[in-house]
Amino acid sequence: MGVQTWWRTPTARRYLFGYTLLAPAVLYVSLLVGVPFAFSLYLSMSDASVGNPVARFVGLENFKAALENATFYTAVRNTLVFTVGAGILKGLLGTTLAFLLLQPFKGRKVVRALLVIPFTLPIAVSVLGWKWMFDSQFSVINWALSRLQLIGAYGSPDWPVWLGQPGLALFSVMFVNVWRGFPFSAIVLLAGLTSVPPEIIDAAKVDGTTFMQRFRLVIVPMIAPILFIGSAFDTVFTLSDLSIVYLLTNGGPDAATEILPTLAYNTGIRAGALGRGAAISLFLFPLLLPAMILLLRTLRRRQY
Amino acid sequence: MIAAGAGHPRSQRSKEIRRHALIYLGLAPFLVLAVFPVFWMAITAIKQDSDLYLVGAAPFWFRLPPTWKNFDFLFNNTFYKDWIINTMAISFWVSAITILTSVPAGYALARLRLPFAENLGIGIFMTYLVPAIILFIPLARVVSTLDLQDSWWSLVVVYPTFTIPFCTWLLMGFFKTVPFEIEEAAMVDGCGQLGALCRVVLPVSGPGIITAIIFSFTLSMQDFLYSLAFVSISDQKPVPLGVATELIRGDIYFWGSLMAGALLVGVPVAIVYNLFLDKFISGITGAAIK
Repeated sequence: MGVQTWWRTPTARRYLFGYTLLAPAVLYVSLLVGVPFAFSLYLSMSDASVGNPVARFVGLENFKAALENATFYTAVRNTLVFTVGAGILKGLLGTTLAFLLLQPFKGRKVVRALLVIPFTLPIAVSVLGWKWMFDSQFSVINWALSRLQLIGAYGSPDWPVWLGQPGLALFSVMFVNVWRGFPFSAIVLLAGLTSVPPEIIDAAKVDGTTFMQRFRLVIVPMIAPILFIGSAFDTVFTLSDLSIVYLLTNGGPDAATEILPTLAYNTGIRAGALGRGAAISLFLFPLLLPAMILLLRTLRRRQY
Repeated sequence: MIAAGAGHPRSQRSKEIRRHALIYLGLAPFLVLAVFPVFWMAITAIKQDSDLYLVGAAPFWFRLPPTWKNFDFLFNNTFYKDWIINTMAISFWVSAITILTSVPAGYALARLRLPFAENLGIGIFMTYLVPAIILFIPLARVVSTLDLQDSWWSLVVVYPTFTIPFCTWLLMGFFKTVPFEIEEAAMVDGCGQLGALCRVVLPVSGPGIITAIIFSFTLSMQDFLYSLAFVSISDQKPVPLGVATELIRGDIYFWGSLMAGALLVGVPVAIVYNLFLDKFISGITGAAIK
């Protein structure tokens, strides 16, 4: 078949039709995700600022400046502690909850709907609630702890100021991330567990396996793809979320809760140093990459 | 387990009760953890200001009569009405852009047996994972080039960067479940490819399209960073940003109005999202939820 006639075949017309339908979405995403991403590489190597539209190329100056800044190392350390610590807690709570929800019991649907509230509430909304619960004087948590005689009265040295003491503040922002994320972990795990056909479990039972053996050798390998996707999503979300720290502590006290997203925002937008900000936010990329590669590989192996 | 107790209905029943008690006992701490903050926000929203700062008596209930004053303040002394209108307008336009681009894209990827369809689909979906925190600085430049800074229209331009990838992926999965025969029958009847899409496939795609609209809305509501970075004029803000930034004056927090404004929009969003959560999870993991 010649080239000229190939264009008239139904296959060629189907391709043309198909790529035309795809074009708007692909263009939108390329123009507003792909191009900005490339642009952020350029910005990170320029001295662009909010007030100065004409940027000069400065090479790796911005990266060097970040690496010479002590706060930057605090932010990297906090980002890692925050992501890993919260990830472990979400994994533990989510697994426990998933196995509880796997049991048949009365009111399961209602319980499930209540349990996912933290994940479904817009994040800025719930963080404001936590800000009030962590209030330095009128914290309801402190009221309860004080009544249980676990801490002294307001003003006593063991009265915790959740967002005001360095160690506690990092714990508090992590806790809010865990609070928001544990229902997601539980539901993803539950989706995985219910997707294992009962016949396979039964067959393994007939073969005389213990619960732990079945869990390790049958269930985990079968639900691994779902777990990978779920944890990749959660990692990307946790690494890149600014709102919890921004609204609760804005990085304080004294940089104790500074993470890369808040540092990038405060440098790039607040202080107006777009180039410096872009460079800082790009330091997140190597941290995000493993999660994205894991996701890509899992998606490509999946059968449709 | 049940079969063993079959001879003794009473012991079987008490066993069931014990099992339920254990499960509820295990779930109780999780339920308190999940629900208490929302309860606390709700009760704060309708408490009098001085009730919030009473020390001594248990704060879990009203010590002074409840009040709607915080809602009055919100609607009469702040831009709350504008924020709601902005949020609705943003959601409308974002949904429109998302549907107009991701319905054709999802259809093409799922149905037209295009070369590279699989990789293109994954590629589009992966952009959903490029987080706002990497894109917000270059997008700030895009927004100011379009002369949209400090207008909610900037968010209409930016939010589709995450709703299009997600909804295209979701609709691709949806279109795979629509039987091929109905399209073929339509084409035999003389419809072209476009005719088959518009007259036969779209009419049965209502549930998929509604789901995509819901997610355009709920995902837009989850944003904080873009609105914080691009919109700083009071009457242009969407609700989450407005509540979080305008009800705090220096060191003074208007807790009652803060909670009222946050929940008034947060609760409906949470309910809708809750109803569609299984679709969200199966959308990203590919697993059906039972």
